[in-house]
Amino acid sequence: MEHRTLAGDGLPALIDELIKKGMRVIAPTQRNGDLAFGQVSSSAEAVLDYFLCKRSAKEIVFPRTEAILGFDRSGGEVKVEPPSMQFPETVVVGARPCDAASLPILDHIFTWDCDDELFTRRREATTVIGLTCTTADNFCFCTSVGLSPDNTAGSDILLTQLEDGQFFVEVVTDKGEKLAAELGELFREGGDESARQKAGEKARALVTRSVDVSKAKGWLDDHFDDEMWESWMTCLGCGACTFVCPTCHCFDIVDEVQGLSGHRCKNWDACTFWHFTVHASGHNPRDVQYKRYRQRILHKFRYYKDRFGVTLCTGCGRCSRHCPVGIDIAEVLETAAGSAAS
Amino acid sequence: MSHIYMPHQMEITEIIDETPDTRTLKLVFKDEGVRESFSFKAGQFGLFSVYGAGECTFDICSSPTWKDHIECCFRKVGKVTSALWRLEQGDLVGFRGPYGNWFPVDEFKGKNIVFIAGGIAFPPIRGVLWNCVDLRDQFKDITIVYGARTVSDLVYKYELEEWEKRDDVSLVKTVDPGGETPDWDGKIGFVPTVLEQAAPSSENAVALVCGPPIMIKFTLPVLTKLGFSDDRIYSTLENRMKCGVGKCGRCNIADVYVCKEGPVFTAEQMKVLPPEY
Ligand SMILES: Cc1cc2nc3c(=O)[nH]c(=O)nc-3n(C[C@H](O)[C@H](O)[C@H](O)COP(=O)(O)OP(=O)(O)OC[C@H]3O[C@@H](n4cnc5c(N)ncnc54)[C@H](O)[C@@H]3O)c2cc1C
Ligand code: SF4
Ligand code: SF4
Ligand code: FES
Repeated sequence: MEHRTLAGDGLPALIDELIKKGMRVIAPTQRNGDLAFGQVSSSAEAVLDYFLCKRSAKEIVFPRTEAILGFDRSGGEVKVEPPSMQFPETVVVGARPCDAASLPILDHIFTWDCDDELFTRRREATTVIGLTCTTADNFCFCTSVGLSPDNTAGSDILLTQLEDGQFFVEVVTDKGEKLAAELGELFREGGDESARQKAGEKARALVTRSVDVSKAKGWLDDHFDDEMWESWMTCLGCGACTFVCPTCHCFDIVDEVQGLSGHRCKNWDACTFWHFTVHASGHNPRDVQYKRYRQRILHKFRYYKDRFGVTLCTGCGRCSRHCPVGIDIAEVLETAAGSAAS
Repeated sequence: MSHIYMPHQMEITEIIDETPDTRTLKLVFKDEGVRESFSFKAGQFGLFSVYGAGECTFDICSSPTWKDHIECCFRKVGKVTSALWRLEQGDLVGFRGPYGNWFPVDEFKGKNIVFIAGGIAFPPIRGVLWNCVDLRDQFKDITIVYGARTVSDLVYKYELEEWEKRDDVSLVKTVDPGGETPDWDGKIGFVPTVLEQAAPSSENAVALVCGPPIMIKFTLPVLTKLGFSDDRIYSTLENRMKCGVGKCGRCNIADVYVCKEGPVFTAEQMKVLPPEY
C-alpha cells in the first residue's frame, strides 16, 4: 500500500474534514476532568499531544453498557424489541498502538464459534487512525508482548511524527487505504521511510521495562497451584484493572427497569469481583481473592494464548497504574519468569 | 438484523409444582416457524428469562423425542427464579438456546445405562432418561438411582411411580437418613451408599451422574469400585453462566468454556481440569 505524508499541523484539518464528510469522529477529549475517548464535534475538542486515556479504546466497539433488547409491559402483554443494529461510520483518531492492538485481540473472543454482532457490526463500521507514542512510563511494557509504541496492529492507518514535524502516514489495511483515498487532498504522496524507521527506533527506546513473557508463560503453564499466588492476596477485588484494560472483556447480562419498561443490558463485569462465579447454592469455585486475581493473570497470559494463539494483553500498563494497592502486572510476570529460571 | 443474545418468546402452557420450592414449566414457542424448526439434544441447556428480572441458565429437562414443547424444572433461589415463580399459565418467557454439548446417546446404543441423580439435579438426567426410554429397544438394562434429602425434596414423584411400574427399567429411590416419612417405601441412605448396595454391573455399561458437588465427590469412587472407568462416567458442570455462547468469560475453567465444551463431561475430562467448579 502507498504511504503518504501529512503536514505537521495537518491533524486538526484531518479531523474537521472527516466530520465534514459526515463521519462520527472519536478522539481523546476532556470528559469530566479526565481524558477519554469520545465523539468530538470539531478538532478543537480533540487532545492529541497526550500520553494515554484513563480508560481504553475498547468501549468504542464494546461499550460499558449497551441494550441488547428493550421490553415494554405498558400495553398488558410484554413487547420485546431488538436494538437498532445500525452503527454509524466511525473514525477513531489518535489511538495509541496499545489501544489499537486490543481490537484484533478482541476479535478472537467475539467471533470464534459464533459472532457477537453487537461487537462485529461496530467493529466493521470503525476505522482506526493510530498514533505512534512520544512518551512512556515505567508501567509500559508493550515491547514484551510483541507490540511496540509504533506497532501497526489494529490500526488501519498509523501516523508517526517524524523529526521534521511531519507525519508519516502508514496505510495498513484496505479500510485505511479507502479512507486515505477519501482524504486525498490532505496527504502528499510518498513518505520518508528512513525517517520513519528512525522515529520508530526512538519510540521503542522509550519503553525501558522488559519482561520475558514467554518464560513467564512456561511457568504459568504448570503452576496453577503455587505459593506465589497467595502473595497477591492484597488484591481488593475492586475491578479497576479490568475496567481500564483494553483487552478484558468479561460481561454480565442484566435487566434494567424503569416503571413498566426497560432494557436487557450487556454490561462490563470483572473476574476479580468475588461474586463473579458464585453458584446459586452459595458454592464459589474461586472462593478467595487470590484465586480471582490468578484467573485474571492466567486468562491473559496462558488460557487465551493456548486457545486463540495471542496474549490477552497489550502491555499498556493501565492496570498497574490504576491499582489502588499497587499490584504491578509486569512485576507479577517478572516473578513468574524469575521462578521459571530458578 | 438481530444478534445472538436475542431470545425467542415462549408461552407457559402448564405449571407443575414439584416440591415447595421447585417447579416444572411446560413451554411452547410463540413463533410457529421456530416451533417447527427447533431441535436440541439431551443434556443441552438454555437461558430462560423474565423481562424485567433477567436471565438464568436451566437444563432443558424434557426429551428431544417430544416435539411439541420443552420443559424446564427450577428451584426458587434468587432474583430471576423468584420472578419466574410469580408467572402464570399463558405468560411469556424468553428463551435462548439450545446451548452446550450433550450426552452422546448414540454411543450408548447396545449398552447398559445407570442413571444416578441427587436432589434438584434430576432435571439434566430426566431429559436423557426419557430420551433413552423412548428409544427403549436400542439399549440394554436401564437402572435409575435417585435420592433426595427428604421425601418432599424428590422431584417428579408422579414419574417415579411410573418408573416403578415398568418392568423395563429398574428404579432405586432413596432419601437421606431422617428424611423418610412413615409410608416411605424406598431406601434410606445417601446416594453413594445406596448405589454401592444396588451394585449395578459395569459390564458394557455407562453411568450418568448429576447432583450436588458433595454427592458427586462420594459417588465417583463407588463407581470406580464397581468397575466403571472414568471415560464411561458422565456428569454435568454447573459453573455460573451469563452468555451461554462462549463470550462473557463467566463459566471458564482454564481454557475450557463450560457453556461450549460442556456442560456434559466425562469423569476423565473433569479430572484434568483445575478445581474451579
Ligand atoms: C448449565 C447449568 C444448568 C443449570 N440447570 C438448572 C436447572 O435445571 N434447574 C435449576 O433450578 N437451576 C439450574 N441451574 C442453576 C441456575 O442457573 C441458577 O439457580 C439460577 O440462575 C439462579 O438465578 P436467580 O436469578 O434466581 O439467582 P440469583 O439472584 O442470581 O442468585 C441466587 C444465589 O446466588 C448467589 N449469588 C449470585 N449472585 C450474587 C451476588 N451478586 N452477590 C451475592 N450472592 C450472589 C447467592 O447465593 C444467591 O442467593 C443451572 C446452572 C447451570 C450453569
Ligand atoms: S485494580 Fe488491583 S486491587 Fe483492584 S481488582 Fe485489580 S488487581 Fe485487584
Ligand atoms: S492487562 Fe494491564 S497492561 Fe495488559 S492490556 Fe490490560 S491494562 Fe494493559
Ligand atoms: S457463559 Fe459466557 S462464556 Fe460461557
